[in-house]
Amino acid sequence: MSDFFNANLVLVQSTLTGLLLALSIQVPLRMGVFSFAGAGSYGIGAYATGILVLRYEMDALPAIALTALGTAVIGLLLGALISRLGGLYLAMATVAFDLIISVIAINGGELTGASTGLFGIITDFTTGQMFVLTVAVLALVAMSEVGRLGRRVDTVRDDPELAASMGINVRRYRLAAFVVSGALGGLAGGMNVLVRSTVGPLDIGFGLIVLALTMIIVGGSRSWKGALIGAVIFTWLPDLLTVIGEWQELVYGVIVAVAAIFLPRGIYGVLQDGTRWVQRVRRDRRAAARGGPVVDADGGLRPQEDEAAVLVAQAAEQPVRELDQLSGRTQGAP
Amino acid sequence: MQDLVSVVTLGSVYLLFALGMSITWGTIDILNFAHGSVFMFSAFSASLVLERLTLGLVPVLLIGVVVGALMSVLIQVVAFEQIIKRARDRRTAEMQILIGGIGVAIIPLAIAQHHTQSNPFGLNASSFTVESISLGGLRITNIQVLTVLLALALWAAAAVWLRRSRQGLALRAIGVDAQTAALMGVDRRRLALVTMAVAGGMAGLSGVLFTFSLGAITPESGDTLLVKAFACIILGGVGSMLGVAFGAYLLAAAEVVILTQTNGSWVEAVSFGLIFLVLLVRPAGVFGRKEVRRT
Amino acid sequence: MDLDLRRRPRRAVLAGLTAVLLLGTAACGGGDSGGGGSSEGLPETITVTSINPTTGVVAFAGNAANKGYELAVKEINESDTLEGSQLELELVDTRSEPQTAAQEATTAIADTDVAAVFGSVSSNEAIAMSPLLQQRGLPVIYTQAGSDGVVVGDYTWRATPLMSSYYPILSKYIEDQGFTSLGVLYTSATPTLQEVGSETVPQMAEDLGIDITASIDIPATTQDYSAPISQVLDSQPDAVVALLVGAANVTVMQQLRQAGYTGPVLGNSGASAGNLLPAGADGADMIWPVDFNFQQTAQSSQDFVEAYRAEYGEDPLNYAAEAYDAAWFLARSIAAAGSADREAIKDAMVSEAESTFDGALGEGLSWEDGTIVVPGVVVRWTGDGEELLYEGSGGA
Repeated sequence: MSDFFNANLVLVQSTLTGLLLALSIQVPLRMGVFSFAGAGSYGIGAYATGILVLRYEMDALPAIALTALGTAVIGLLLGALISRLGGLYLAMATVAFDLIISVIAINGGELTGASTGLFGIITDFTTGQMFVLTVAVLALVAMSEVGRLGRRVDTVRDDPELAASMGINVRRYRLAAFVVSGALGGLAGGMNVLVRSTVGPLDIGFGLIVLALTMIIVGGSRSWKGALIGAVIFTWLPDLLTVIGEWQELVYGVIVAVAAIFLPRGIYGVLQDGTRWVQRVRRDRRAAARGGPVVDADGGLRPQEDEAAVLVAQAAEQPVRELDQLSGRTQGAP
Repeated sequence: MQDLVSVVTLGSVYLLFALGMSITWGTIDILNFAHGSVFMFSAFSASLVLERLTLGLVPVLLIGVVVGALMSVLIQVVAFEQIIKRARDRRTAEMQILIGGIGVAIIPLAIAQHHTQSNPFGLNASSFTVESISLGGLRITNIQVLTVLLALALWAAAAVWLRRSRQGLALRAIGVDAQTAALMGVDRRRLALVTMAVAGGMAGLSGVLFTFSLGAITPESGDTLLVKAFACIILGGVGSMLGVAFGAYLLAAAEVVILTQTNGSWVEAVSFGLIFLVLLVRPAGVFGRKEVRRT
Repeated sequence: MDLDLRRRPRRAVLAGLTAVLLLGTAACGGGDSGGGGSSEGLPETITVTSINPTTGVVAFAGNAANKGYELAVKEINESDTLEGSQLELELVDTRSEPQTAAQEATTAIADTDVAAVFGSVSSNEAIAMSPLLQQRGLPVIYTQAGSDGVVVGDYTWRATPLMSSYYPILSKYIEDQGFTSLGVLYTSATPTLQEVGSETVPQMAEDLGIDITASIDIPATTQDYSAPISQVLDSQPDAVVALLVGAANVTVMQQLRQAGYTGPVLGNSGASAGNLLPAGADGADMIWPVDFNFQQTAQSSQDFVEAYRAEYGEDPLNYAAEAYDAAWFLARSIAAAGSADREAIKDAMVSEAESTFDGALGEGLSWEDGTIVVPGVVVRWTGDGEELLYEGSGGA
C-alpha cells in the first residue's frame, strides 16, 4: 500500500486538487449559475500561494488560508458584477475572466515569472494535510446537498421564480455560489502549487475548464459524489491508458464522447438508477405478493427521494404546456 | 491603412469560422465544440490528398467543404442526435452536447497529431500559389481577397436563407420553440442535418482558406480559433446574423489595434476585457434578442 | 545581467531544498531510496528511464531525443565503457503534460532499480520534475527545456545549451551583411524565445552598435501575423528577426514575403527539422543559430552523424544529438563512479563536468552551472534544405 502510494503520489495529489476544481464549478452549477470562474480562481490561487511562499516567505497553511479568503472575496466581487447575466452569456463572461487571469500571469514580469511561471515553491506542506483539508471541504459541500439547505439550493436552480415566491433570496444564493466557487478554486490552486512546487501560465488555461466540466458531466453533475467519481476517473484514466501507447489520446476522446452520449446523468446517475432499480424490484415483489398496484404515480422511479426535489421534478415534467408556448419559457410553477 | 486591411482579413477568417457555429447554436441549439477539429481536419485531409495529387485552388476548397460537411453530419448522427434522444431536458442536453463535442473533437486531433507528430502541415503542394497584389500602396494577397469575399457572400447568403426561405423559417421556429415547430410539421431531424452540413462545410472552407493564407497550421490550430469564435458569437449575440459579423470584425479590430499600438502581449487581456464589458452593458450581446430560456 | 537573473532563483531554490532536507519533512516522508545494486562495483544491468513526450504536442522532439538515447545506449553497451555491465533504457511517455511528467518522475524515484533519468524536452514538464528529482536524489539529464527552474542542483543537468548562450554567434552574420538596424518579432509563449527576443537580441544590438527599430511581442494565440509584420516593416529595419515556434515560422516567412520584404530573416531553431518546408520558396533565407547541424565539421560530430544514418537511415536532428551526448555523459559518470548508486553517480557527474569532452554537439564541450556549453553553428534555409553558413568558435 505504502509503495503504491509513494509511486503514485502525484496522481493521489492530483485527484484531490481535481476534485476541488471540479467542485468549484459544480457548486455554482448546482445553484443554476453557469459559471466557470472556479478555473480562474484556481489560477489566482496557485499564483497567490506561490508568491506568498516564495516572495513573502509565508508558511504553507497561512498562505493557503489567505489565498482561499482572497479568492472568495474576488468571487464575491465578480459575482456582484456579473451575476445578473444569464446562461451561456454568464459562462462566456467567466471564461473571459479566466483567460484574462492567464494573460496577467504571462505579463506579470518578475512577480509571476512571465512565461516560465513560478518554481521552487517548497514548503513543509504534506499530502496528509492536503487530504484533511480536502475532506473537510468536501464535508461542507456535502452538507449543502442535504436537508433544508439542499432543497433550497435545488429550488433555486430548478425554479428561481418559485424559490423567490417561497421567500428565498435568490440573488443571495447566486452570490454565495460565486464566493464558494472562488474559495474552492483558490484552495485547489493553492494546494496544487504547494505539492507540485511550480505553476506556469500553461497550467491555468482553458484546459482547466474543459477538464473540470468533463469530470462533472461524466461523473455526475448533481452531487459531490459525481465530482469525486469524475475526479478519480479523469486523473487516473490517462495514466492507465498509457499502456495503449500511441493511440491513447484517441481512446480518451472516445471514452469522453461515449460517456457524454450514453450517461446523461453521469456515472453517479447510473449508480443511483441501479440502486433504485434494485429497490423497485424488491418493492414490486412485495407489492405483487400483496397484489397491490405495481407502479406508482410518477413512474416508480423515485422511491424515498427527498420530497421537494420530487415536487420540483414533477412540476418540471408536467408543466402547463399552453403557458409554455405563449411565453416561450419552460417554467413550471405549480 | 494597412492595418485596416489586416482587420478586414482577420475579421473575415473569424467570421467564416464563427458563422457555422453561430448558425447551429442559434437555431438547433447545438454549441459544437468539435467545430475547431472539423476546421483543422478538413485542411489536414486536403494536405493528405495533395501529397498524392496536384490540384488547383477550387478542387482543394471543395475537398475542404466536403470533408467538413461529412464530418459534421457524422458527428451529428453519431453523437449529438443520441444525446438529444437520451437527455431529460434541454438544459442537460446543452451540457452533454458541449462535453460530447469536446470528446469527439479529440479523435480527429489525435489522428492528425499522430500523423504529423504535431509538426506544421500546409497546402503548398497545390498548383495554386498565394500572390500579393498592390492596390494604391496597400498590399493584400489573392487568398485574402478570396477569404473576405467568400466570408461576406456566405454570411449574406446564410442571413437570407434563414430569413427568407421556408427552411430558414422552420429553423428559426425551432430556435424559438422546438415543440411548436414540431407540431407544425417541421422535420427537425432533417433540418438539423442540413444545418450541421452547412456549418461543417463552412468550417472546412475556412480551414483550407486559412491554411493557404498562413502557409501552415498545426493540429492544435483549431482550438485557438474555437475560443475566439465563441467570443465573436457572444459579443454579437447568439442567434443574430448581424451580431456574429459585428463580433468577428470588432474582435479583429481590437486585436490589431492593440497588437500594433502596444508591444503586443496584452492583446488577449484587452479582447476578453472587451467581451466582459460588452456583456455588462448588453447582457445578451450587442444584437442579441432577449434571452428566451430561463436563467 | 542575464546570469544574475538565472542565479538568484537558483540560490533560492537550493536554500529551500536544503531547508526541506534538514527538516526532513519531505512530501510523503518516504525518505531517500538508494540506487540499484550494492555500492560495490557495477551491477549486471543498470536501468535508466527516459521520461519524454512521445505523444501530444511536443512528441516530435521527444521521439527524436529517444532515438539519440537508444543509439548511444546501444553503442555504450557494445563498448567496454561500463566494464561489461549493460545499460537498460526504458521509455516512458509524458503525453506532453507536466502532471504526467511529475507522476512518472515519482514512479522512477520509487523504483529503486532506476539509477538515473533522462528528463523531458519540454520546459513545463522539466520544471515539474526537477524539484522532485533533486529533493529525492535521482540524477537527471534533460535536453532542450531551456527555462529557469530546470537545473536546480547537483542532481539536475541539461545537455542542451541555452539559446541565449549561443544566439550571439549571429553577430558575425549581422556584421558581415552590414545591417545597421533590426526589427524584432518574438513570442512570449516560451521562456526561451521571450528571453532571446527581449534580452539577448537587444544586448547584441547594443554590442554591435545598431538600432532596434521595433520590437513586438506576439501572444501565443495569434495565428495571423500580417498586422505586426506591417508594423515592423513600417519602421524600415535592415533585417527582420522573427523568434517564433514551429508552424508560426512558416506563416511569418510567407507573410513577410507577401508584405514585400525580400531580405534575410533571423530566426531560431524552431524552424529546423523541415518545419519550413510548407513555406516553399517563401521560406528561403531564414537564418538561425543552432547547437547542432548534421553538416558541422567536427570529427566527433561526423562520427555521430554516420552512426545515426547507419542506424536510422536519416540525418539526425539536434534533439537526437543532444540526447546522444547526454547518454554518454551519464555512462562516463557511472563508469567513474564505479557504482549504480544514485548519490555516487551524482558525485561522479559533478567531477566529470569539470573536464571537456568531444561529442555529437562538437569538440571541446564543457558544462557551466549544470548546463552544456557548445560552439553552435549558423544555418540558412534554402527553400528545401538547411545550408551550413559558418560554425561558432567554441566556448561561447
